[in-house]
Amino acid sequence: MSISAAHEGVAAIRRRRPLRLETRLAPLIWVGPAMALIVVVVIWPVVIMIKTAFQHISPDGFILGWAGWRNFVFLWQEPDLPGILLRTCIWVATVVVGTMLISLALSQLFNQKFPGRRIARWALIAPWAASVMMTSIVFRWALDPNNGIINVVLHDLGLLQRFNSDASDWLGTPDRAFAWMIVVAIFVSVPFSTYALLAGLQSIPSDVYEAARVDGAGTWRTYLTITLPLLRPAFIVALLINVMNVFNSFPIIWEMTRGGPGHETSTTTTFMYQLKESYIGESAAMSVVNFGLVVIIVLLYLRATVWNREAA
Amino acid sequence: MRIARRPLALAGASAALALSFALAGPVSARADTVLNLVAADYGTGPSDTSQAYWQKIADAFHAANPSITVKVQTVNWNDFDTKIQTMVQNRQYPDITEGDYFANYAQEGLLYKTDQVLSDPGNLMPAFKKLGSYQGAQYGMPFTTSSRAFFYNKKLFSQAGIAAPPKTWDELMTDAGKIEKLGKIGYGMPLGPEEAQAETLLWFLGNGGGYQTADGKWDINSPQNVQTMEFMTKLVKAGDTEPNPGTKNRAVILEQFAQGQVGMLNGLTALIPIIKQAGVLTSSDWGTAAIVGKNGPLNTTLGVCDFMAAFKTDGSKQAAIKKFLDFALQDQYQVAFAEEYNLLPGTTSGAAAFAKADPQLAPFIQALPNAVQYPNSPVWAQVKTQIQQIIGTAIGPHPKAVLDTIQQTALKGS
Repeated sequence: MSISAAHEGVAAIRRRRPLRLETRLAPLIWVGPAMALIVVVVIWPVVIMIKTAFQHISPDGFILGWAGWRNFVFLWQEPDLPGILLRTCIWVATVVVGTMLISLALSQLFNQKFPGRRIARWALIAPWAASVMMTSIVFRWALDPNNGIINVVLHDLGLLQRFNSDASDWLGTPDRAFAWMIVVAIFVSVPFSTYALLAGLQSIPSDVYEAARVDGAGTWRTYLTITLPLLRPAFIVALLINVMNVFNSFPIIWEMTRGGPGHETSTTTTFMYQLKESYIGESAAMSVVNFGLVVIIVLLYLRATVWNREAA
Repeated sequence: MRIARRPLALAGASAALALSFALAGPVSARADTVLNLVAADYGTGPSDTSQAYWQKIADAFHAANPSITVKVQTVNWNDFDTKIQTMVQNRQYPDITEGDYFANYAQEGLLYKTDQVLSDPGNLMPAFKKLGSYQGAQYGMPFTTSSRAFFYNKKLFSQAGIAAPPKTWDELMTDAGKIEKLGKIGYGMPLGPEEAQAETLLWFLGNGGGYQTADGKWDINSPQNVQTMEFMTKLVKAGDTEPNPGTKNRAVILEQFAQGQVGMLNGLTALIPIIKQAGVLTSSDWGTAAIVGKNGPLNTTLGVCDFMAAFKTDGSKQAAIKKFLDFALQDQYQVAFAEEYNLLPGTTSGAAAFAKADPQLAPFIQALPNAVQYPNSPVWAQVKTQIQQIIGTAIGPHPKAVLDTIQQTALKGS
């Protein structure tokens, strides 16, 4: 074998191997840190969470051994759990539907030209910019049965007979407390959704509307057959982000009622936190259930975004 | 802000120090010992926060012992238990705590015994020795104590035409009804999460019940206790209390009493400065009496003690902790604390000094040895958490079911 033949052979091998090892690993330098971050802050806690759900742990964090499915059994035996699950569904459904309906109307309004629009748009950011916990505390005090501002107004209008009564104690009974918390949750969710929808509205080209006008379509017809379908990508993104946010919402419920009386205004998120004070394993089991629900929501989200791309 | 930023700088400095030692090899350096003190805040606002009380002691101590720095952190009472528990769950132990003490930390071997961290453990108030002990050894150091009393608003009583404070439950209900007609709250019943375990126990005692039997068996769902909850429900349904007591915290009810909005409640001496600060009631507008029982006033009350406890962590700070505790439990600081918050001292010599300084409160100190106390059990932490969360729902048609649930928690253990 001559030298040149050997050279050719090596060259052929080089040609056949598309990339050297270093070249193939090169992207890892760029992707690696992000992957490491995901492993450390996402995957690892999930593993620990699932492990914890199967351990028997003392209230002070000492691992006493494996518990098998016992934590899940205890969780399922909690007398308040069915009510909490049902309430979580109602919570997510009403808050998200309410938010989206109000946001559709508001984004339409803010898409019109009117004097003071800039100020109005800025004002809408306020509930979003303020800490949710702060907003909740403000509402809690506004609803105080003794001297809350809402009760004072109602009293001055003659709608409330006296303070410190059942009628003035909005957060004292589960149903009314829950209704008020839904109001607060909608209040803090509306800005984001409105801006997401507003961005969607602004991306609809005006010539489509002109064409519709030329063809003689009325306002409602234009809205239903042009605006809504073209708004769908923005709408679905806003909807699913809201579902996840509302499902995981903790500060509103915690600050306004701490899930009380009893667990009658708790959702699975606050209940999980309360379980943690006494039963860490059972709390982890609740987390696993919550996690499962979030995963389902995320899968729906992914399907929806794929669906969006196909639609576009 | 100032306090929040300092630890960062300190941590940075100590990390740099550790690094330089590591490079230089073993050096016989006496690095500063840092003690982390986490205490409950007894104050009602920035003006009387316990942060100031502890910082003063920490500064004086540091001046006397420059090699030891005490970092003070005070936590709102509402969050104190959870805060400490979270620190323990995360293995970020404080060195010293002041507030609630739980036998479970002693059970798990996390705490120093009092004789390991105090030169004179015998000076701790003996009335609370048992409550601070686990299996015969004392871990909790009584720091401040209080006994509960029945407070009533004399002004509202005379407006409603009531001559004397009630002695029996029926009288209490009648009187509360009369005050309610004035548009005020008749009886303040704080069954919200903050301190429901105290209000509940005082009512149980009024009917010969309690959380445990005399020989220490859990007895939460006893027939007397069910009967007690039934009476409380009757009182609430009649509109004689604030609405929905299960959602009302003690701090709010005490504040409303100070504002003259509440006819009567079971309070503690710490209510006195709140009344003074509100400036609505003069000292002749309110009075105290014995806790009302079903058939007559109680000759006992609930005695509450807040403890200091010292965590072992890695065992390296024992000497420093001992120095600090000896310093912090001096009579002058015990008296200063009791005077600031109208509570009672936790040491024998402190109580003697305080009784001389404030003879008005001397009877409360004498009542302490006979007072009923919370259960001394490692499960108490969970039982208490559950009482705080759900006892309010026992006001209603099914008190027995709620008490059964709590009893089950007590028997289930951890």
